[in-house]
Amino acid sequence: MTIKRALICGVSGQDGAYLAQLLLHKGYAVFGTSRDAQTASFRNLELLGIRSHVSCESMALNDFRSVLHVLSKVRPDEIYNLAGQSSVGLSFDQPVETMESIAVGTLNLLEGIRFLGATARLYNAGSSECFGNTGARAADENTPFHPRSPYAVAKAAAHWTVASYRDAYGLYACTGILFNHESPLRPERFVTKKIVAAACRIARGSREKLSLGNIEVIRDWGWAPEYVEAMWRMLQQQTPKEFVIATGESHTLEEFLSTAFQALGLDWRDHVVLDSTIMRQSDLVASYANPSLADKLLDWRANMRMVDIVDLLVNAQMTRSASVS
Amino acid sequence: MKTALITGITGQDGAYLAEFLLKKGYTVHGLKRRTSLFNTDRIDHLYQDPHVDNRKFILHHGDMTDSSSLVRIIQQVQPDEIYNLAAQSHVAVSFEEPEYTANSDALGVLRVLEAIRILGLEKKTRFYQASTSELFGKVQEIPQKETTPFYPRSPYAVAKMYGYWIVVNYREAYGIYACNGILFNHESPIRGETFVTRKITRALARIKLGLQDALFLGNMDAKRDWGHAKDYVEMQWLMLQQEHPEDFVIATGVQHSVRDFVNAAATELGIQIRWEGEGVDEKGYDTSGKCIVAVDPRYFRPTEVETLLGDPSKAKQKLGWTPKISFDELVSEMVREDLKSAERDELVKKHGYKTMDYLE
Repeated sequence: MTIKRALICGVSGQDGAYLAQLLLHKGYAVFGTSRDAQTASFRNLELLGIRSHVSCESMALNDFRSVLHVLSKVRPDEIYNLAGQSSVGLSFDQPVETMESIAVGTLNLLEGIRFLGATARLYNAGSSECFGNTGARAADENTPFHPRSPYAVAKAAAHWTVASYRDAYGLYACTGILFNHESPLRPERFVTKKIVAAACRIARGSREKLSLGNIEVIRDWGWAPEYVEAMWRMLQQQTPKEFVIATGESHTLEEFLSTAFQALGLDWRDHVVLDSTIMRQSDLVASYANPSLADKLLDWRANMRMVDIVDLLVNAQMTRSASVS
Repeated sequence: MKTALITGITGQDGAYLAEFLLKKGYTVHGLKRRTSLFNTDRIDHLYQDPHVDNRKFILHHGDMTDSSSLVRIIQQVQPDEIYNLAAQSHVAVSFEEPEYTANSDALGVLRVLEAIRILGLEKKTRFYQASTSELFGKVQEIPQKETTPFYPRSPYAVAKMYGYWIVVNYREAYGIYACNGILFNHESPIRGETFVTRKITRALARIKLGLQDALFLGNMDAKRDWGHAKDYVEMQWLMLQQEHPEDFVIATGVQHSVRDFVNAAATELGIQIRWEGEGVDEKGYDTSGKCIVAVDPRYFRPTEVETLLGDPSKAKQKLGWTPKISFDELVSEMVREDLKSAERDELVKKHGYKTMDYLE
């Protein structure tokens, strides 16, 4: 059997690292890209102990030549597009870069595959942000989009570009609409990581106060290492399709917060300051997901729930800070 | 009096809108892309010499793909209203130039909205975005209204969808008076020659006079909701005169196939078409038995949008807007104008002068 070749665009991020780990485990030759592979930090790959097993290339997704160069050099069987500006908050300050890296980047990958006449399959990282506020009615693959940030609008454009190219040119290309997924590799600008890191410092004696915005927001939090398996499965089907990937359980940020502090024997109310200036103008209020199609067709379901995830995050954080000190 | 800036002023809607706003007493500024050939035919009658005092109609060179040009022009003009009509507006071409389409049609909208923010004009400048029925693509309900989910099926439609949502987002996030007009197909005698309606009326007029042999079309079963551009620009203005910005579907609520359009145009010219065959073999013959209409698969699109039909009830109810010009009147006007220019070409040729055929 020939060894399959996978190209992970955006390999330095959380999902890229876990996906690389999964694909290596499955026997793939794994190639990864970053805008400047010479200077990029592959800390996440190092943390997982797989840095030397992943060949890294420089690729700027908004530059067609660069995309063609890497596609023809790597000749991948599967392409995972996880690259692009990934912060909703930053997208309000860098809306053009957000659009170019996400939507134009995806377009260049699709055009690159067409140009080379390649049979590579493309997974595109979509986002639950495209749905906007779902209300209590859980979003599935047929729920219309109501994006509410430059990030979400760009992700919606990339989503429909993939669908159009699949219909128009018969490419095997699909988008995974992933709801929030966490891990110890999340950077601290994500609120979950910010909470866990502060709670752990406080448990170790820090007297700091944790400032948070709106803790009534409702999200579906999953475990990133499980979600990358769903990405891979999406490329192993007979026909490409969109899937919602989530746990199917939503919680308020307050529940997440209280679970994290409780795991350390603390009461969050003693340590948290609510600060309305941190709130974003168009932050989503509620996000509910219905991942039943993935269960049915991909035989994939999330095992880790919010409580498990908080435990894992707290343990990882305590272990890491212990090893640092 | 108010000042308006129209991007895409050299296009069909730009020309009608400029005329409409000038009549209302506006000072009209237009954004015009640099081209090596003149492209101002449609606004030639509005042109005012730069040496005239108190000009009401002023053109600026600029480009939707160039942020600095947009910021500079908007800073100079300080418009009360911006009508963003500029775009790569051809669906078929968007499959050939997808990145340019995204750059001008999607990022272009964002650049103008950002210019409004950068210049601190959020409270002063109202913004109209030319959205499109192509957003509905593979339609999720019939007819389509403001709440119908989108299903874009071309790089053009995807880029326009980005434009639609970024307008909604900037309205919600920054309180800009910005709104989308989701316009269904709208035509006129100054519609671009490569769009199917104009292609039909122009070709049949020329066939009538013997300047052309046959007309080749793509999917003749495609159904569209065709209105007159003149009616639609009034609506664009009305949308910016409300208390609160809202998005509206603009359509006639009546649908015809491409074949219906061909028949209506032929009848107007006194040509009788007899149809034979189906699919790619479908042909239209005149009474002498000459094939004058045929299908060329080259005009099929990688993904077809089969049917579009708008429900303009909201526009009627909230803005009191109804289209005044009927389908038959539209076709008749287009045919009349194209027959006139075909006759001019014929005359010129008869006297030994060269005319351009402008075939594409």
